[in-house]
Amino acid sequence: MRGFLKLYPALSESKGCVLSFMPRPSHTSSYPAEASGDPSLAGAAALETLGAAVRQRIEAGEVDVPLLPQVASQVLSLAIDPKADAARLSALIHKDPSLAGRVLQIANSPAYMPKMPIVSLQQAVARLGLDTVVEIAFVASLDGGTFEVPGYEDELENLWRHAIASGAFAKEIARIKRVNVESAFLCGLLHAVGKPALLQVVADAEAELERRSGCAGTLRGAVLAVLDQFHVGIGAKIAEAWRLPVQVTTAIVFHADYAAAPSCKVDAMIAGLADAFATDLVRSRARGGGGAAEATAREAWLRQLPVVADLNIYPSELDGLLAKRASVSQIVESMMA
Amino acid sequence: MTASSPPASSPLAPFGVAATDVLGLDRPIHCDVLVIGAGPAGQKAAIQSVKSGRTTVLLEQETTVGGACVHRGTIPSKTLRESAVQLARLHRHEATSNVEPRRDREVASLMTSLDRVVTAHVGYMGRQVDRNHVVRYCGRARFVSERLIELQSVTGQRSRFTADTIIIATGSRPRTPAEIPIDHENILDSDSILSMLYLPRSLTVLGGGVIASEYASIFASLGVRVTMIDRAPRPLVFMDHELVGKFVGAFEAADGRYLGRQSIERVEFDGVSEVSTHLRGGETIVADKMLVALGRVANIDELNLAAAGLAPTDRGVLAVDDNCRTAVPHIYAVGDVIGAPSLAATAMEQGRRAARHAQGKSPGHSPEMIPIGIYTIPEMASVGLGEEEGIRRFGSILSGRARFDEVARGQISGITDGLLKLITDPLGKRLLGVHIVGDGATELVHVGQMALVAGMEVDAFVENIFNFPTLAEAYRVAALDIIEKRPA
Repeated sequence: MRGFLKLYPALSESKGCVLSFMPRPSHTSSYPAEASGDPSLAGAAALETLGAAVRQRIEAGEVDVPLLPQVASQVLSLAIDPKADAARLSALIHKDPSLAGRVLQIANSPAYMPKMPIVSLQQAVARLGLDTVVEIAFVASLDGGTFEVPGYEDELENLWRHAIASGAFAKEIARIKRVNVESAFLCGLLHAVGKPALLQVVADAEAELERRSGCAGTLRGAVLAVLDQFHVGIGAKIAEAWRLPVQVTTAIVFHADYAAAPSCKVDAMIAGLADAFATDLVRSRARGGGGAAEATAREAWLRQLPVVADLNIYPSELDGLLAKRASVSQIVESMMA
Repeated sequence: MTASSPPASSPLAPFGVAATDVLGLDRPIHCDVLVIGAGPAGQKAAIQSVKSGRTTVLLEQETTVGGACVHRGTIPSKTLRESAVQLARLHRHEATSNVEPRRDREVASLMTSLDRVVTAHVGYMGRQVDRNHVVRYCGRARFVSERLIELQSVTGQRSRFTADTIIIATGSRPRTPAEIPIDHENILDSDSILSMLYLPRSLTVLGGGVIASEYASIFASLGVRVTMIDRAPRPLVFMDHELVGKFVGAFEAADGRYLGRQSIERVEFDGVSEVSTHLRGGETIVADKMLVALGRVANIDELNLAAAGLAPTDRGVLAVDDNCRTAVPHIYAVGDVIGAPSLAATAMEQGRRAARHAQGKSPGHSPEMIPIGIYTIPEMASVGLGEEEGIRRFGSILSGRARFDEVARGQISGITDGLLKLITDPLGKRLLGVHIVGDGATELVHVGQMALVAGMEVDAFVENIFNFPTLAEAYRVAALDIIEKRPA
């Protein structure tokens, strides 16, 4: 199977990239405390200690680009299933931001000589055909190797949940704004693709620091905050290495700082708002929905986000978007199942 | 407080200025004229009002002026069309230019000049509005009573206005039939069609009107396999049948297909890559994407018209008189919100007319000669009476034709598939209508329009001299054709 790599030169090119330190602000840090219950709101000391260690590792180029093994095994099953169809493949790829990005990267590589840039999975299937995309997904999945962060299964699961929710919300926002829905999904899905890539590094740094101090678990609460702090820089490198479309790259790099985006500003804004809605969805789920007061606080937080006004989304349109939370949640859970 | 002294801390201060307070709820802001909507009609109404010394407030829900015309309609689609036409010209001259154009391109690359065009146009219009001291506020307006308007900003803040005259210019949006699952991703409307990032291999277009025909011909000329589906036996039924024949011929030559007299059973997306249109006749059309262009609806839903004592007609538009006045004497409506012809040029004139009438000034004669320009490939344009209307009014008509391949400029420029058609009274003297298909038709028609306005006879086209070689020479050729047919 490794022979497939010869067919997909871009796959090999993306390995071993050096990742730079590029922390970015995250608007999700202002999520209402009463509705959070989030360990990312950790002590400043733990955050500083773990952050410094992670920064060192990033600068040393210790971050690799992972793929989700669960999806890899599903792609493998699909590849040998004579009943496989495009709908199943598309649904499978959409579950995994990492795999979706790699499929796009490979589909756009010189090996396939696309006549025009491929910016969506639908387009990839339509242009390249089911079998080819199955092959691409299959090889990409195998090449990703085993991705496991023992002890961080919940965090990882929530990262994927957040990514899928971001993609789904981005589609709904794009519909409101009448911009491209296909690319909006990918912008949402991949906007935080740096986080899973970074999780192993953060976990290693945490383990090492705690081993040295002899105080197990003291830094655990800072893990997600550190991911928030550093993932954009990692995501930017991944976007560059995978040669993602400019809309997706912009969403990754500028979703929390869209005013600085040199182009595709609306894509970045949509990813930013989708990120906020996804954050709310994931954290609300973690707290079992919370009470009425908590729900009110969460909704108020979403309504006052500057990106809402900057996208010129009126209260009635925002009502519509808020009403989509239940259906997005269903989509997320079905894809996570 | 009046509109001529806008508050520095206005919560709804125009276009992104920070809001600090709720203003006007206790004491509404009063102005002479309040215009709702900053599209072509609203802008002209506001500027006309200010020029007459009236304090004028312009309300707009978007952050910039221009309306759908600039941001989602006329300007973007014509920009795409221009790229398609340039490509078509390259193809035509492929042999001599030694340039091999790419047959498939990103839509985005074809729209590269759009941002520049829109920015320039919005900037110009914004400066024009500001230069005339029109006070602009950003938000959504609704009637509280027939003279009281409440504006809600994007952040939910509210403000109130009263006015002696209110002009509604809220425009229109694409109609989205409930039975067609428009998702703006695979099944698009005329707003979202321009968000496509790549050219699909195939496109189904529902509708046979102006927007459907324009987009169908644009995408066909870009190499997309286009199928138009409509109830009508031919597209653009209100246009001269010969012109439409030429258009359909060009469309089919670009591998397009028009399916008339069709009724749609259902439309569905397969979840991956194909949109299927099942026709009641049994045929199924499959395409990568679909454009639904089945008309437009007036933007009146959020206006709370009942509070103003207004109600839409059965067709969902506002009824007005010749001066664009509604049933409520101090409320006017202009532009797409009053229905046909839904042309930007007409909307501007309606705005001007309404403003003048509201000020007690004569709005002048209502222009009967409104040209129609359709930016299909090839272009179509029309002014005055068509054959059927001419026969109805005069008993019979004479018509004269000039094919562009009979004109030197047509041969030089490779524009040989055009046609100019003049309609006159039965004596072959009085000009009644001008109908043109071919590159440059929307410009060329204005020569005929001026002749119609001046009440000229067709002989004028023969007795006067046009530049040579130009397409305008077609007027002389068509006029000679009529003169030869005059009754002895």
